[in-house]
Amino acid sequence: MDFAFTADERAFAEEVRRFLRAQPLESFPLEGMDAGYGSGAHSRAFMRALGARGWLSMGWPRAFGGQERPLFFKLVLLEELALAGAPFGPLAGCWQTADAIIAYGSERLRREVLPAVARGDGTFWQGYSEPGAGSDLLGLKTQARRDGDDYVIRGHKIWSSHAGIASYGLVFARTSQEARRSRGFSMFVVPNGTPGMDIRPITSLTGEVYHYETFLDDVRVPADMRLGPEGEGFVALLNGLDSDRFWGRFYKAPALERTLRQLVEYANTTVVRGVPLARDPSVRRRLADAAVDLAALRALFYRAACLMREEATITYETAVAKVMADETGQKIAQLGMDLLGPWGPLREGSRGAKLGGSISHSYLTSLGHTIAGGTAEVLRTTIAVRGLGLPAEPKAEARSRG
Amino acid sequence: MDFRLSPAQQMLTATAREFLRRHCPPERVQEWVLGERGFDDALWRRMAELGWPGLLVASEHGGSDGSLLDVVLLVEEMGHACLPGPFVTSAVVATTLLAEAGSAEQHKRVLPLLATGERTASLALTEESGSSDPADVALACAVPGRLSGRKLFVKDAHVADQLIVVVREGAGLSLLLLPSDRRGISRLPLEAISGEKLFEVVFDGVEITAADRLGAAGGGAAALEPALAAGALARTAEMVGGAQRVLDLVVEHAKTRVQGGRPIGGYQAIQHACADLVRDVDTARGLLYLAAWKTAEGLTGAASDVAIAKAHAGQACLAVARRGHQIFGAISYCEEHPLHLFHKRIQAAAVDFGDANHHLETVARSIGLV
Repeated sequence: MDFAFTADERAFAEEVRRFLRAQPLESFPLEGMDAGYGSGAHSRAFMRALGARGWLSMGWPRAFGGQERPLFFKLVLLEELALAGAPFGPLAGCWQTADAIIAYGSERLRREVLPAVARGDGTFWQGYSEPGAGSDLLGLKTQARRDGDDYVIRGHKIWSSHAGIASYGLVFARTSQEARRSRGFSMFVVPNGTPGMDIRPITSLTGEVYHYETFLDDVRVPADMRLGPEGEGFVALLNGLDSDRFWGRFYKAPALERTLRQLVEYANTTVVRGVPLARDPSVRRRLADAAVDLAALRALFYRAACLMREEATITYETAVAKVMADETGQKIAQLGMDLLGPWGPLREGSRGAKLGGSISHSYLTSLGHTIAGGTAEVLRTTIAVRGLGLPAEPKAEARSRG
Repeated sequence: MDFRLSPAQQMLTATAREFLRRHCPPERVQEWVLGERGFDDALWRRMAELGWPGLLVASEHGGSDGSLLDVVLLVEEMGHACLPGPFVTSAVVATTLLAEAGSAEQHKRVLPLLATGERTASLALTEESGSSDPADVALACAVPGRLSGRKLFVKDAHVADQLIVVVREGAGLSLLLLPSDRRGISRLPLEAISGEKLFEVVFDGVEITAADRLGAAGGGAAALEPALAAGALARTAEMVGGAQRVLDLVVEHAKTRVQGGRPIGGYQAIQHACADLVRDVDTARGLLYLAAWKTAEGLTGAASDVAIAKAHAGQACLAVARRGHQIFGAISYCEEHPLHLFHKRIQAAAVDFGDANHHLETVARSIGLV
């Protein structure tokens, strides 16, 4: 047992902090909103700044232009960026997609897409969900039909984050009508702007755009833009979900730590009837509880990280971490709203807003977190069935047949 | 960073798990905790043969120079078995305190007997305030002089040969190492639902001399710190082990109890409850190991990690126990069903060495609240 970071990891953290001090974060233009996951807003300029330091590709094999830095360097980078509130929105998605391309991508994907990712010019949206296929992805209708050296994709994707401002879509589509439901799906890397692709913004309850829906009307892509073998997309997707849950939420603990620090500062400096809010026993208790929750959350993520590094089997460890990340985030946002009282609901930029109006934003965005990337309900089922070995509920067809 | 146990630690926990599975089944625990002594002397001697009481004692005094981290892993297994008895009281807390504050003569006289389990000792700290914060100790004593007053919730005092009594002496705190049968000391049982043996210890004009001192006059608060941290960690480990056992029992039940034609574990209402138990047990264990490791390594800031671990386990492991009853249903309301034993033990451990409120105040200060 050893819970310390290595000297190399600590030195890298310092290097990242130096980078963050060197240029004010406000100087990076933003294109897309911060959805509160902890990865900040979408900033191409910031991604390019990370790319210029070699950090986007630092974990890749040298043969692909990487530095073969260990997994924990990526965690250190994410921790520091999230604590600082940096706009690295697309980063984790880039790493995951690049890892898949390196593992089983075509020559063309490696040649065209990887260098763009390394520079900060290649970002991705996930075209998984459809209007009729959310938690039950196997119900999706989008088709990719083989036509000579191409595929022709037709369908309708929804809830894709930052799709309108990203570089490529990762479109999950049915490539055959095989009887076995999980076979016959494939993943495609589709460049934004390909003819037939119509990406439309969805205004969220915050009043901003984060999600998009995409209509794919006979979108033609070369066959070697398929990611992985034909028909094996679902297996790859399922395997990817474990790491998706990890990389999509790892930075939440440091980001919430940042929020907690702001709330502690607010409680210390806000005087109510002559006494700092921090002296109110219920406020004190709830802030301390939040700190305990964050420590617990970090323990779950670092355990999962160690399993990933050891290439051990993950059954439920990322699922339980994601559920806790999202529910802790909701709890802390609620706490913030309670502390701020009538100022809580003021929006970002409003006259009189406290903490820059960030709490109302966190409060609203946190509502989506237990839905996106696997609902808390689906994940609790995963924990019970895969983690504890409890029997799966009968599938809908089995029930209707039965 | 590495969450894995070392091969030696894996061996320790596997040995303990198997030993306790054989010698400490829930039916026996039930008998023991309902009895007056509260534990089994034969089992205590077997544990002593394995060297467990001597883990935190230096080899020169007959112990094995073990680390607190090893002890935490062992106590987690004891919690998993709901082992009753004075192990944490004597072999963890009193031993740590004696090792920290004792003179060479006291080390030589007491530690070897604690290491072999032939004698036990218990800490008398808490008073009417119910607090386990030494700052709340009011019982005053001049040395030499006579001690009159009382301590509460003194665990395993009925079998303790020595009592370590925290007293106020002038502006500071001092520790007294007293034989429990000294004239004027009486031990009155408090009856806890867990069956843990707790006592009110009354001091009625007990004669105190300078030879009774454990450590320097006024040095009590500093000397207590490592012992209280060890106690909080051990009690947390007990809760983690107990909560893991509740989870084990619940999962077994959910897989085999059939209602409506299928195991209840096939219903999402039960699955989702079980998922929350996993979260609570895993987080409690993660925080425990982190705090124990930091404490064993002597790292700064370990005190707040101990507070976080105990505050969290005190809430999360109790939630596991309560939810466990709900999943088991009516059968777990029976005395013969083991669940209540684990629940009551977790309850007892949650309030010992600082309850969640106590530790959350430490956390509140550590995050910078004024």
